[in-house]
Amino acid sequence: MNRLDYVVLILAIIAIPAYGVWRTKTRDTLGHYLKGDSSIRWGTIGLSVLATQAGPITFLSLPGQAYESGIGFVQNYFGQPLALITVCAIFVPIFQRLKVYTAYEYLGQRFDGKTRLLGALLFLIQRSLATGITIYAPAIILSALLGWQLNLTIWLAGGLVIAYTAFGGTKIVSLTQRYQILVIFVGMALAFVIAVHRLPVGLSFGHALSIAGGMGKLQAVDFSIDPHKRYTFWSGILGGFFLALSYFGADQSQVQRYLAGGSLTASRFGLLFNSVVKVPMQFLILLLGVMVFLFYQFEKPPICFDQPAYQRGIALGHGQELDALQKQFDDVFARKRALLTSAAAADGEQVRELDAKSREIRDKATALLQSVGANKKSKDSDYVFITFVVQHLPHGIVGLLVAVILCATMSATAATLNALGSTTAIDLYRPFIRPDANDRHYVVATQIFTVVWGLIAIGVASFASLVENLIEAGNILGSIFYGTILGLFVVAFFVRNVRGSAVFFAALLAQTLVLLMFWTLTISYLWYNVIGCAAVLAFSLVLQRTVFFGRAAT
Amino acid sequence: MNNDGPPPLFGSWRNAYWIAVGLFLLEVALFYAFTLRFS
Repeated sequence: MNRLDYVVLILAIIAIPAYGVWRTKTRDTLGHYLKGDSSIRWGTIGLSVLATQAGPITFLSLPGQAYESGIGFVQNYFGQPLALITVCAIFVPIFQRLKVYTAYEYLGQRFDGKTRLLGALLFLIQRSLATGITIYAPAIILSALLGWQLNLTIWLAGGLVIAYTAFGGTKIVSLTQRYQILVIFVGMALAFVIAVHRLPVGLSFGHALSIAGGMGKLQAVDFSIDPHKRYTFWSGILGGFFLALSYFGADQSQVQRYLAGGSLTASRFGLLFNSVVKVPMQFLILLLGVMVFLFYQFEKPPICFDQPAYQRGIALGHGQELDALQKQFDDVFARKRALLTSAAAADGEQVRELDAKSREIRDKATALLQSVGANKKSKDSDYVFITFVVQHLPHGIVGLLVAVILCATMSATAATLNALGSTTAIDLYRPFIRPDANDRHYVVATQIFTVVWGLIAIGVASFASLVENLIEAGNILGSIFYGTILGLFVVAFFVRNVRGSAVFFAALLAQTLVLLMFWTLTISYLWYNVIGCAAVLAFSLVLQRTVFFGRAAT
Repeated sequence: MNNDGPPPLFGSWRNAYWIAVGLFLLEVALFYAFTLRFS
């Protein structure tokens, strides 16, 4: 990165929060701090919901995912539009009608204080850990490739967010997210255009797609019912629906986004906007990964994109083995490129064989680096896109793309800190510690809790190197807790005769069951969303009809 | 401001939801056509 890159980067990450601070300097009531004001319209809500979900992992990992496995991953998002419509039709009207600040406040109104506390605590535990990982994951990759100090990167991403989120609450989060997501859109669009432009002269976009398709990278939809296939239409619709319903319906970091402004129409339009644009957006990010893949069919890629790990492998005395693998890799690459640029490019079978050989050599190098402890806290594919950016994009754009990663980190983190602070103040502090203070007191309390949670997230980020696979860790954490939280809401909405104590103990049992299964079984973590939700439903029905039968509403 | 009226342009929220479902199905159909064309 040169001076121009740093100017672009600093402008992008400083100017947006500065504008947000200027726009939110007049704020007085708790309602304004936690929900913003009526100037927040559906477009801002829609972009804010989009930005909250699209964290740094989306922009670092998805292109690499497509580079390795093609665009079939887009099917994982197929459950989202249906979940968003369900949230629009069932969850939002209830939250808006009861004028709650947090989703868990509704649990208190429907059941009792202890169930509200349980829902809030499950959210706080899960989200605070996940936020640490959201900050750490891009920091480790950017620090490795750009030579930045890791702790400095963590504080750069986390410190600024804590300051402006605590200052401006929900309104500043929504406002800054609107511009941060615009920076992200512009940066990713430029990367896409440049990746296409950098393909060899004479290779049209359509022909390039045909080559990628011939190499198995463009199967977007697979209706197969084979359970061994990782990404299919059916697994995306079913698994994705439950995960998205939990996330959008019961995770305060999202609930607070669409309740901002207080208008039911704005909330619904903001969510419907997401139901329409989310899947195409993920498709385009994956397609960008395919463009990067095509670029590296003609420009020699590194055998290992995580170059710092590769250098550590050499330093640990494995230079000769890595050198031998590099020579094989170079040879296969040269043969494959010659085939692709010759008239024989139509011979897809031979290209596929060489591509498989190339991947086999890369896997050997990765396995070697792992076996000697030279890597890794993240997958090599997570380094693909940022390596392309740093090594092949022009100066200025490099700064913009690093800003994209940091903007994504800041927008996702701000939404979560805002939700953690609000939940602590509204669901723990106000009902159990200071029930009779004035608005100003609760605003200050929420600001203090936001700062405390921010510092905890940075603390988690500082110890996140203990986690083996960062990207997976975030999803696993969510899946362990989301099922139980969703179960609480499903019972609240649909099972009228179940009361507070039954659902409270059912949720405790369900969470224990999920944790036991997580520690003893090896099933896909996505199933825990379904199991947790179903267990709360089943246990609460049984407990209500046995242990708590005939007891008055609590 | 808690506006629970029908949405502008769509007549009713039920219509708006069906349109959103229809657009999602159209997206899936386009992705499938893309798959058939390039795979």
